[in-house]
Amino acid sequence: MDTTWIVIGGVVVIGLWLIVTYNRLVSLRNQASNAWSQIDVQLKRRHDLIPNLVEVVKDAMGYEQETLKQVVEARNSAVKATGPAEVGAAEAALTAATTKLFALMENYPQLRANDNVMQLQEELTTTENKISFSRQFYNDSIMGLNNMVQSFPANMIAGMFGFTTMPHLDIPESERAVPKVNLR
Amino acid sequence: MSVPSTAQGLAGTDFIAAQRRNRRLTRWLLYILTSIAMGLGALIGAVLVAQTASTEAELHEYMVPVAIFFALLFGLFSLIWTGISLAFGDRMLAGIAGAKEATREEEPQLHNIVEEMAIAAGLPKPRVLVIETEIPNAFATGLRTSRSAIGVTRGLLNSLTRSELQGVIGHEMGHIANLDTRYMTIVGVTVGLIALVSELALRGLSFGRSSNNDKKGGGLAAILIVFLIVFAILAPIAAKLVQFAVSRQREYLADATSVQFTRNPEGLIGALRKLTEAAKPFPGASGATQHLFIVNPVRQFTSKTWALFATHPALEDRIKRLQNLGA
Repeated sequence: MDTTWIVIGGVVVIGLWLIVTYNRLVSLRNQASNAWSQIDVQLKRRHDLIPNLVEVVKDAMGYEQETLKQVVEARNSAVKATGPAEVGAAEAALTAATTKLFALMENYPQLRANDNVMQLQEELTTTENKISFSRQFYNDSIMGLNNMVQSFPANMIAGMFGFTTMPHLDIPESERAVPKVNLR
Repeated sequence: MSVPSTAQGLAGTDFIAAQRRNRRLTRWLLYILTSIAMGLGALIGAVLVAQTASTEAELHEYMVPVAIFFALLFGLFSLIWTGISLAFGDRMLAGIAGAKEATREEEPQLHNIVEEMAIAAGLPKPRVLVIETEIPNAFATGLRTSRSAIGVTRGLLNSLTRSELQGVIGHEMGHIANLDTRYMTIVGVTVGLIALVSELALRGLSFGRSSNNDKKGGGLAAILIVFLIVFAILAPIAAKLVQFAVSRQREYLADATSVQFTRNPEGLIGALRKLTEAAKPFPGASGATQHLFIVNPVRQFTSKTWALFATHPALEDRIKRLQNLGA
């Protein structure tokens, strides 16, 4: 009589644990893929914004043609890039190019008086921030997922239902060295 | 511009360790608060038995069970009351008069920064509110992460740089992510209940004093009543102190969470300096809503003497801890 109850209790506990662990794995995986698609969205938005910014500043920044050309080229190769490694490198180069452009724009007070320019610059800034925050959140989510997929006993459930570890996104060296520019 | 310099000089475990320590402290404070509430209930139960028991045997038989019953009753009552407050929550917002929803067109940068912090936190974007006052301050509210709001004053928008504003919004997003409104509602309900019951006990005692002289538990009752009077006077004060301590811990936690999101303690440090310098009371902020703001809008506590009664930690302490995180 007593042993029956113990067995039933044990089965219920294991069943509950299975459900909770499985759901946790699903939500971690969704969180990670959601963060990943957020990165994609923001990268596309950046590609759309850059030609507009170059267009509005190019007359005023007549002496900076070289930088503007670099920005456009970096943008075009980022659009064309495929595969995580190539995309990563191209986007890092683009970030470096736009950062340089922003720094140079500081020297042109007439640009700062132009609402259109300021608006575009804010949009680009926030887009770049969102890219790096999505990446940060993606890495945090991945860490949670990977810990769970690899550690006992959750790894048994992960193996059963095909949950695998996902790769970390490394921050490229060129992007870490981004100089701080104050907008105000 | 502040492309947050991710992973630059900030060891990943720092804010995590700070958050863990903080959560543990909060938990202990909640245990203390619960103990005060249950202790009060037990004392009241004991006094009731001592006052009504007619024989020695009755006294011994009922003392402990009744005390335990009252302690549990008190706990249950505070649980129900908390449930009701949470169900009819989102009232906090109404307490902050003059906070109006700002559209994306009106405040594009503010909306952008809120979106950035929502991404960093992995939460839905909260509503964005603005209070038209020149005094810089900010608040967050919402009992659920899915239905929350962040509000800032006009003065805040005018006086901070982009990265400072990001630090402040990160702090508010930290309150939302850590469910602080819910936390403080629960704590507030328990503190209110302790105050109410203490008051009732004191009044009840002054009414019933003369009638219990011929009862068996007279001697014991007298001792218990003295205990109860002292406890009923001290409990509300102690509960209030615990409430303030929890509030301070949650501020530290939100600061650490902000750094987790922005990976840039400098922004928040700069903002806190400016905010504290300019902090003044403004219409819409009151004693009931003061703990929601990033710096206390009602009272200024800089001296250590009053630190126990502060809803927010002293600025120097907050900055010191932030600098520690960034080191």
